[in-house]
Amino acid sequence: MNLLLFIIWRFALEQEEDMKTKSRLSRTGRSYHLMMLPGMIFLIVFSYIPMAGLIMAFQNFIPAKGFFGSEMVGLQHFAYMFQLPDIWKIMRNTVGIALGKIIIGTVIAIAFSILLNEIRIKFFKKTIQTIVYLPHFLSWVVLASVIVNMFNLDGSVNQILVGFGAEKINFLGNYKVFPGLIVGTDVWKEYGYNSVVYLAAITAIDPGLHEAAAIDGASWWKRVWNVTIPGMMPIILLMAAMSLTTILSAGFDQIYNLYSPMVYETGDVLDTYVYRVGLVGRQYSFGAAVGLLRSIIGMVLLLTANGLTKKFTDRKIF
Amino acid sequence: MKKRGIGKRLLSILLAGCLMVSLTACSSQNDQDDKGKDTAKNDGTESRPEKIEVTFGRMTIPNGGLPEGDTVEDNAYTRWVEDILNIDIKDAFEANMMDGSYDRQVSLALSSGDLPDIMLVSSRETLKELADNDMIEDLTGVWDQYATDTLKGIINSYGDAALDKVTFDGKMMGIPATTPDTGPTQVWVRSDWMQELGIKVDEDQNKAISLDELKMIAKEFKDKNPGKAENPVGMAFVPNLSDDGIYTMSAISAAFGAYPRTWLESDGQVTYGSLQPQTKDTLSLAAEWYKEGIIDPQLGTRTWDDITSLLVNGQLGITFGMWHVSDWLLNNVREADKNANFEVYGIEDANGKVNAKHVNPVGFIAVVRKGFEHPEIAVQISNMFYDSLRYSPESFANYPEVVKYVEVGGIGVARPMNMDIEPATSLLDNLSDIQKGVNGEIKAEEARTKESQDIIVNIKAYLADPANASTTDWAKYHSRMKGIGLLQALTESGTINYVSPVFPLTTSTMQTAKVNLDKLEDETFLRIVTGALPADSGFQDFVSQWNKQGGEQIIKEIQDQIK
Repeated sequence: MNLLLFIIWRFALEQEEDMKTKSRLSRTGRSYHLMMLPGMIFLIVFSYIPMAGLIMAFQNFIPAKGFFGSEMVGLQHFAYMFQLPDIWKIMRNTVGIALGKIIIGTVIAIAFSILLNEIRIKFFKKTIQTIVYLPHFLSWVVLASVIVNMFNLDGSVNQILVGFGAEKINFLGNYKVFPGLIVGTDVWKEYGYNSVVYLAAITAIDPGLHEAAAIDGASWWKRVWNVTIPGMMPIILLMAAMSLTTILSAGFDQIYNLYSPMVYETGDVLDTYVYRVGLVGRQYSFGAAVGLLRSIIGMVLLLTANGLTKKFTDRKIF
Repeated sequence: MKKRGIGKRLLSILLAGCLMVSLTACSSQNDQDDKGKDTAKNDGTESRPEKIEVTFGRMTIPNGGLPEGDTVEDNAYTRWVEDILNIDIKDAFEANMMDGSYDRQVSLALSSGDLPDIMLVSSRETLKELADNDMIEDLTGVWDQYATDTLKGIINSYGDAALDKVTFDGKMMGIPATTPDTGPTQVWVRSDWMQELGIKVDEDQNKAISLDELKMIAKEFKDKNPGKAENPVGMAFVPNLSDDGIYTMSAISAAFGAYPRTWLESDGQVTYGSLQPQTKDTLSLAAEWYKEGIIDPQLGTRTWDDITSLLVNGQLGITFGMWHVSDWLLNNVREADKNANFEVYGIEDANGKVNAKHVNPVGFIAVVRKGFEHPEIAVQISNMFYDSLRYSPESFANYPEVVKYVEVGGIGVARPMNMDIEPATSLLDNLSDIQKGVNGEIKAEEARTKESQDIIVNIKAYLADPANASTTDWAKYHSRMKGIGLLQALTESGTINYVSPVFPLTTSTMQTAKVNLDKLEDETFLRIVTGALPADSGFQDFVSQWNKQGGEQIIKEIQDQIK
């Protein structure tokens, strides 16, 4: 949703710059802005107004007393969070799993879109595209039971391992392999969908560049490396920077449906932890404090990423 | 994992509730006969002139047993209540009580301040929070005025224990469900398999087996695979090793005198069961069994549902639970395998005693939203289900569909308030009625409750032809004659050694630290059993961590609370 708004906004800005000489707000610029209106209203109602509720993070919030009756406690919940014995382990798990998903997910999606773009038979291309998109639309609740069935000790994956003479691995109960399972299944689920954006970016590259490179004798590899990837770079940077904001949320519904106390060591992330403490333990203020902190860190990372890309590539995201 | 933790705890407390519609000799036994002849005025179910809408928070369970076409919101029980009390039942929310969803819904209702008119809460903490925030009605007046003598007698059969739990500043803020002691956690063993393999246990015939015997059965079952299943399993447990009841290790730990996740008190000194050396002994033994392959190699990732399927698939022949598991879990095993039969045992400690905890007599509590104009409806519904439905079959004789529900039994979630108010001695009282009925000492109609009367019929049918009996008859026979039968045998021989846990209100440190401590405990115990941590140093470490991370403080707070 936000990404969509952002893209429309960029279009609007570009149009405006083109038309600057004519009038302050050109007709096309204005219609683009109009297109943003429903989205903006949505954003204000569902994202900005609820921000007032963040005051909970600084209160000892009791539902019946409401925002005005609850006692203010300042930064107490933040202090409490950092003295929890497990907080660093949980942070490590969260960032580790999230980074794994971002990096591997991006690389695979880019590679996949480049390869898919090479396919010339339209029917075949569309079929593959549909097949790899599909998992994106399945909920983790459903997928989790499929994954449990495949990866448990008696599951098909272990039967294959045994067939090759290897030892059985309790993927869901072994804290050493659990993060790998989480990252792997998430990448599998999402790479098809994520590649849509990259595929669009590739299509937007001027075919003339490819032809010129081919005439100059560049191999396929060289063309990918020197034409396709640089052409995709703005979108790659945008997507990477956007996903940095999610670095502290490693995917609640996926992990919640797959983890167990056996893998808390590496699998308990901020979301699942806050869920157990916050909602089930009914500590709303604490939950809000963690959420707020996560958003702040996400924002700082996004701004940093923007600054860095501007410095090193001379392109900025916004 | 908290969600399972809560589910399981609910289970032990409640679950019990949902299926054990039982009954007993209670104070009003004598007025019972006159009841039907009285006008509707006296049975506490006065109608009201104008139909009003009442909203409820409702519980569901997967496979709740509702007949085709009936829903939680609209079924024989709700239609009966709607008709008698002239109300219109609407569900504000419905949620699964087994996995903690119901509790979450209650939490959400509480935080939004938007309560249904009547709902159940599962803990005194929630009740207190509601009372402190002035969100619920004081029921003292309507209880005195509307509750029947029978109902009051049932609650009083616990002395003050039941009412005290719902009373704050002298005001009765909720109607307590009451749960009689169910005795020790029972071991249910496939007796058809034991026969097939020629396994003999319990030579002294005291209905209690030793840990060694348990281990032997599990090993035989696993090695010889009488269920002819792929991947047979010796024993399987849910991941929260400290939990009580169904699919847990509580029977094994009790044999060591260990009561994990339980607050105990002796001479004014509060202790936490999980920290005691007995708990360590339990874990060491379990670790040994795990290593030998007798305990499920997938311990820790097997969920409740997984274990049920192990049983149904014939991979597992030993399970742990309460007397009523045959009615709603093991009946699935019989459905799948007509030859399946179970024998029930307690596990004895080194002195030949079977240890058990007294249960918290109060489980669910029904509360009424502050400002609801007819708080008496909650009391009237209680009268209908916990008095009329049990003791006065004539009161619902005009509602054939209700009669049918009662006969089938076990459709607890259909009730607007899915709880039970049971007299303290109801289990054994009912069993003795049933035994007499089955032996022909009394006629079925002479049993004190409608439910017992029906069960006598079931059991007679089962005994007439065990091999071809229906699953319902099979289940009733097992739950009563074997499940409660074990409790009766152990009680009569004086084999049960009861301990009385402390049931404290949540203290301030508990609120901030308990989730963490529970996580530490669940994680450590699993790792000890699966061999990832050495039992001795791992446990020692756990104890000091636990104390350091707020546990010591919690114990102090509980001590102050019970002073």
